[in-house]
Amino acid sequence: MTMDEQFNFTNKYRNILIVMMAGGVFVSLCTILVFKTGASRIWANVLLNNQLFLGISLGAAFFIAVHRVSLSGWHTILQRLPDAMTTFLPVAFVLMLLIYFGMGNIYHWSNYEGHDAVMEIKKAWLNVPFFFIRMIFYFAGWISLTWLMRRSSIKLISSSDIKFHNRRKILAGFFLVFYGITVTSSSWDWIMSLDAEWDSTIFGWYVFIGMFVTSLTVIIMLTWFLKRAGYLKYLRADHVQDLGILLFSFSIFWTYLWFAQYLLIWYSHIPQETIYFIRRLEGFKPFFFINLVVNFVIPFLGLIRISSKRNLNWVALIALIVLIGHWLDYWLMIMPAAAGDKAGIGLVEVFMTIAYAGMFIFVLFRSLARYPLQIKNDPYLEESLNYES
Amino acid sequence: MNSRNYISVFFSDEEPLLQAVRKLLASNETILDVRSPFPVHGLDKLLSIKRSRIPVGGFIFGALGATLAFSFMAWVFTVSYPLIIGGKPYFAAPSFIPITFECTVLFAGISMVAAMLIRSRLKPDIRFVPVDEKITDDLFVVLIDSANGKTTLEKIRSALSDIQTVEIR
Repeated sequence: MTMDEQFNFTNKYRNILIVMMAGGVFVSLCTILVFKTGASRIWANVLLNNQLFLGISLGAAFFIAVHRVSLSGWHTILQRLPDAMTTFLPVAFVLMLLIYFGMGNIYHWSNYEGHDAVMEIKKAWLNVPFFFIRMIFYFAGWISLTWLMRRSSIKLISSSDIKFHNRRKILAGFFLVFYGITVTSSSWDWIMSLDAEWDSTIFGWYVFIGMFVTSLTVIIMLTWFLKRAGYLKYLRADHVQDLGILLFSFSIFWTYLWFAQYLLIWYSHIPQETIYFIRRLEGFKPFFFINLVVNFVIPFLGLIRISSKRNLNWVALIALIVLIGHWLDYWLMIMPAAAGDKAGIGLVEVFMTIAYAGMFIFVLFRSLARYPLQIKNDPYLEESLNYES
Repeated sequence: MNSRNYISVFFSDEEPLLQAVRKLLASNETILDVRSPFPVHGLDKLLSIKRSRIPVGGFIFGALGATLAFSFMAWVFTVSYPLIIGGKPYFAAPSFIPITFECTVLFAGISMVAAMLIRSRLKPDIRFVPVDEKITDDLFVVLIDSANGKTTLEKIRSALSDIQTVEIR
């Protein structure tokens, strides 16, 4: 039994990813120039992909932290995967700062001139300088805490000192508290404020669960990829079953929150609140319902049997479908508000996401290849190797 | 003593129990039953007990509960006693969902408990005679088929000599 297997980021993968990035940027630029895509739609796309991939890396950090705090052991052989996913956070920070140049196109509160009573009050929170101060604050916390957690984990590869394990456990607790607050307020800032007059108290939760589900899908697909490429020898159906259970249950929880938001707004029927759903149902009705089918019905029926949860190929397929579904969910949150009538799903959307995915996987693979896939001195490693679901 | 057709082995912990079960199965003994105060991880796999089909029943009854609840409410509010509530249409599907959900859980839950009771033949006046009082507290017991006296106490004793047992009788 050797614990030294290390992911090899070969030139083949590197080239494929560079082609993805360059091709994605090139095709989307061509489409923008040929079809004269409006600025608001382009910036909404940037925001959508920032939010999607930021959510994936934050959800991965949450995955790690919540397992550390609950002293769980089963995920230990997979822990380097979500750990590597969090290295995208600094890149996401730079990409998020780019939004500064497109503020006026998508956030209409940033150049609001009217005298609406609600907007007057909201100005205290929604103004450009404070927006970026908050953004820097969020990222400073996320990046530093995940970096510290990652560093203590890496130390455990060479050292068997238990203090590193204790340290990362305490850091996980701090991260959970910080993340719990900032994920809510960042979702107000970046997504909810697109419909500036509108607000919903459950919105932060809703975005947060979406983030966790997307990062679960990526962890599952990455596991599938590594297993197929011949890594992760210790992975058994028991571990896959737990990943399947998480995807299954959190898809249901996502639906629960989706419906909790919808039901209350639908029932109270206050124009200020219903505007959110009216914007999305007028013109985008098919997407609105496809969103529910893909993110609830498919994982619910697809993963309900125990045998389907234990089959890695099947779980990975469902994960891919759910990831596309959550892309659509972000699209529905962002596009109708930011781009209005010009919103649509076309080549720009597809190829920009491909370019972002290429960049995300590049960063992920690079940091995954830097250290062995197993953390040799992790106190929970033995438990994970003998884990029975 | 020989009129009995089983041999019971008592343990005070789950680890020796699992070791003993592995050993007995390897030497081709027939294990009639294992009784324990709490579920032992991995024991069902060792004894090759098939997975229970209770979840399937739960799903079917849950689906039935959802259908019944939803269609009943739809019938009441559109055909039997149409009422306008809060300016909503008669067929106000979103407001039916919470009750549909509750009925799904109720049907699935009750049906699974009922199926378990029926399947294991549990009813109010049933009498359970334990092999030993302590198996309801902290003792584990393995019952081995004595195969009409072919498997003797001595044989089991020597087979399990290196495992920590409380009593073999």
